[in-house]
Amino acid sequence: MPPYSSGHLAKPIKSVLRARLWYVLIMVIFGVFMVRLFYLQIIRHDYYKRSATLGHLKEYEIPADRGVIRAHNGSTTVPIVLNQTLFTVYADPTLIKDAGKVAETLSSVLKGDSRDYEDKLRTKDTRYVIISRKVGKQQKDDILKKKYPGVGAQEQSYRTYPNGSLAAQLLGFVNDEGKGTYGLEQALNNELAGKPGQLKAVTDINGVPLAANTDNILTEPVKGSEVTLTIDVGMQQQLENLLKAGLDRAKSDSGSAMIMDPNTGAVKAMANWPTYDPASYSKVEDPSVFTNAVVSSPLEIGSTMKPLTVAAALDSGAVNTNFSYFDPSRYVIDDFTVKNIEEDGGPGTKNLADVLNLSLNTGATQMLMRMGGSGDKINKKGRETWHDYMANHYLFGRGTGIEQGYEAEGIIPDPNKGYARDLTYANTSFGQAMTATPLQLGAAFSAMINGGTYYKPHLVDYTINDRGKKIVKQPEAVNKNVVSSQVSRDIIPLLEYVVEQHAFSRKFDQKAYAVGGKTGTAQIAKPEGGYLDNDYNGTYVGFVGGDKPQYVIVVSVHKPKVPGYAGSRAAQPIFGDLAHMLIDSFNVTPKTR
Amino acid sequence: MTYSSSLAVGRQNAFNNRGQNAVTFRKRDRSLGPISNTIMLIVLACVLGLLYLTQVTKTNAYGYKVNSLLEQQQQLKSEHDDLEVASARLQSLARVQNSDAAKAMVSVAPAATIQ
Repeated sequence: MPPYSSGHLAKPIKSVLRARLWYVLIMVIFGVFMVRLFYLQIIRHDYYKRSATLGHLKEYEIPADRGVIRAHNGSTTVPIVLNQTLFTVYADPTLIKDAGKVAETLSSVLKGDSRDYEDKLRTKDTRYVIISRKVGKQQKDDILKKKYPGVGAQEQSYRTYPNGSLAAQLLGFVNDEGKGTYGLEQALNNELAGKPGQLKAVTDINGVPLAANTDNILTEPVKGSEVTLTIDVGMQQQLENLLKAGLDRAKSDSGSAMIMDPNTGAVKAMANWPTYDPASYSKVEDPSVFTNAVVSSPLEIGSTMKPLTVAAALDSGAVNTNFSYFDPSRYVIDDFTVKNIEEDGGPGTKNLADVLNLSLNTGATQMLMRMGGSGDKINKKGRETWHDYMANHYLFGRGTGIEQGYEAEGIIPDPNKGYARDLTYANTSFGQAMTATPLQLGAAFSAMINGGTYYKPHLVDYTINDRGKKIVKQPEAVNKNVVSSQVSRDIIPLLEYVVEQHAFSRKFDQKAYAVGGKTGTAQIAKPEGGYLDNDYNGTYVGFVGGDKPQYVIVVSVHKPKVPGYAGSRAAQPIFGDLAHMLIDSFNVTPKTR
Repeated sequence: MTYSSSLAVGRQNAFNNRGQNAVTFRKRDRSLGPISNTIMLIVLACVLGLLYLTQVTKTNAYGYKVNSLLEQQQQLKSEHDDLEVASARLQSLARVQNSDAAKAMVSVAPAATIQ
């Protein structure tokens, strides 16, 4: 018998076959797993990675602190706009079990009627109801320590104004989206807002970032710049008080005033009435109150233009300081009559001082005629010369670039286009048929009396950026040849003469101080064309100083109801009060010669 | 003769007496087997893993500490801001104007100009 019979052979072959079958089976199963894993880990990699990280990878925006706004207070600075963290208390009505009890607690902490809170807590079809905004930390803690399910609080940074409505229109406000609106907040929004940071991190169940994760990304927020204004809070407060008192006396509903340094373009105080509280801007019913009329509401500036017309005539060489002419008291131009007010005494020989003191419309028209080389009619050369002064010397018809939202440009007519060009240009010589903002008027007037340099009006003295670097804003001379320095010196005594000849409730000591100025009473244009019959704007532009002008004041009174000319009866007394205030309280240096 | 030298001499004599079959000692390389190597690698990996885990846990614990300090910093900053606001309000013009000290003041018109 052979050692191995066929019966003996069958067992090992079966065993090998079985092993091979198992091997194949295992390999198939393994292959299935491999294919599945390949599908899950390679093909669907992004999907599963996203799903996995969604639960524990969180992104937070780290808000940047908005820059504080400061202003001068004599020799120091004080904050006038700050940030304060307050809380919005909210509720999820679906989680509130005992609305009455929760409402009682809310009422006792937040004040107010508990029924109102209960109504909110019982709101249907929503999971988010705002209970109260701008809640203080203590109140928030008092509510949250009760641990009512469904009641929470979210912190939010708000602007706060320690001086209330002081300089409200100049400052503007920050809306609920955190965007600066109107005034300085709008103009400097990017600078003040800074740049929010970002934290992208793997977190635990409570949202606390886990430090060990190498994929965490932290971008620190960039704090907004701190801005210090040229405004003096004491001067600003007094300006607002005196403006309001003056408007009440003149029975006017609205008006504006501004004080600026003619030698740098720095605005020291700027105010409008009516005003508002920027901390409660949402409660304002008439949004026109947000507008800073000094920079955003152009008006026909009236006879306050005359000093600029006279200066242009002197500077262009059309007239000299000894100039005199026969004034017929009326000119017929383009079939319309340009005339003076009745108190001006009728026809006669007049000089430059008379043109300003008596506020002669015909005198201003005469200057325009002289600029064209004529003594009795307006011509193209005259119109173009005067247009050049308005547009390129006094920079009317364009924004000044001050740090304010919604700055208006004003309008000056084209010298060679349009209907009744000569009449239109005669009107512009005494501040009608053109518009300018009080700020544009103040800046041009400053250039005329400071030696002939137009400084860009500005409100920012310096800024301190997030790295603590102080950036001082230097005065920016836009045009150094507005008028010659000689013309500038010549015009000052003419304006002092005007003040000397006009009645103020408290006279100025003009031996000690240089005080000069000019009234303006302008008709108010109707939107549909033409002018209002019995309403006027009263304006005044003037200066206070010693050997050289130190402050320029512009006053505008809208539709005063006192009898007489709006410029002299409504705006001039406010100028007088402001000029005395500056002399009494703000170190005006007396004359030395 | 010291004890150790006498012992050495004694041993030498013992070998001399046998005269043959002196055993020479050869240094043999002893290496770990594959199982030992695997076990050691696994142990090493476990130790490293443990080390890594302790470090990660420690770092995360520090993370919580940092987070808590940041919260504290934020709270202090918030308190600082509140105090700054309160300070500014207390020094505001309207408050100063309505203070008892200001109300007790009398206004005086300037009598003359200082030249």
